[in-house]
Amino acid sequence: MFTIPKEREVPFAGITPAPVNEQPMMITGNWRTYRPVINHEECNLCMNCVVFCPDACWQLNEAGDEVVWNWKYCKGCLICVNECTHGALTKEHELDFEDGVVRLEKLF
Amino acid sequence: MARVHEITIWTRGVVKDKEGRDVANALTLAADKEGKFTQAFDNYVDLPDRVNVPLRKYARISDEEIEMRYDYENEKPEIVVVVDQAIVKGVNLLRGMERDGVLVVNTDRSPETILKFVPNSALLKTLVCVDADGISGKATVDFSGTEGGIDTAGLGAGIAAPLLGAVAKVTDLVKLENLAGIVKDVEGLRRGYEQAVVVSLNGGAKKEAA
Repeated sequence: MFTIPKEREVPFAGITPAPVNEQPMMITGNWRTYRPVINHEECNLCMNCVVFCPDACWQLNEAGDEVVWNWKYCKGCLICVNECTHGALTKEHELDFEDGVVRLEKLF
Repeated sequence: MARVHEITIWTRGVVKDKEGRDVANALTLAADKEGKFTQAFDNYVDLPDRVNVPLRKYARISDEEIEMRYDYENEKPEIVVVVDQAIVKGVNLLRGMERDGVLVVNTDRSPETILKFVPNSALLKTLVCVDADGISGKATVDFSGTEGGIDTAGLGAGIAAPLLGAVAKVTDLVKLENLAGIVKDVEGLRRGYEQAVVVSLNGGAKKEAA
């Protein structure tokens, strides 16, 4: 039976902590040129955006009365705008907004 | 070794990949016509690119032979060119830049809007805004020049041409006449040169006059 010396107890390369809801090491919000903007008055909660979003960036909130957009991971593919049945989603340019700044020091 | 002038171009994967590559290639070819030593290459880390991913293209221009052959990233860019304006929000563009840098952005917005999203703008001497999308109106999507292949589409047919004109306006590394001999869309190049909005920051113009 051998023991591993303390200084060699390092994790294997490429192992990142398992994400529970989000993976903070793979933020993809800076891929976006346009973002979807929701008008909650028009939205009838048909859930098309939730179903069609490839990155699960549209989620029903806990109260169950609104869909919430996740700006950190939305890549701006605008599939949700295309699939919205009520015209509640519109495409807006990213520079029209001050929020949603994803300043990654390192790209992956 | 003489100073190696490093130029970093930020572009979007696949959809504007060709435009970013054209900027790097045309700049180095134009400098090459003056007998300077040049290198132009993709950032290996960003490849393979996927649609809309921010990625880098590099160009180096020097009066003497470039001896940094195995440094595959521009650590201290002097000129940063942004092909898609939304990238200013997503990336720390000026990382590694020393003082008195130049930022060239393809944008239809005001320089103030762009500066709002550049947190370390104290490093800049000049900000150049040019509406390359409005001048050229098209982005070439072509892969024939990648990975050492022969470029059949030609350099600077799309938004790269006005961007190159804007770069030529603020730097003496390349001459506009030399670029005009390389770029396909010469009219776009000249319009980019004329319509580029140059903003001097942090007393840059004063220092030049002194």
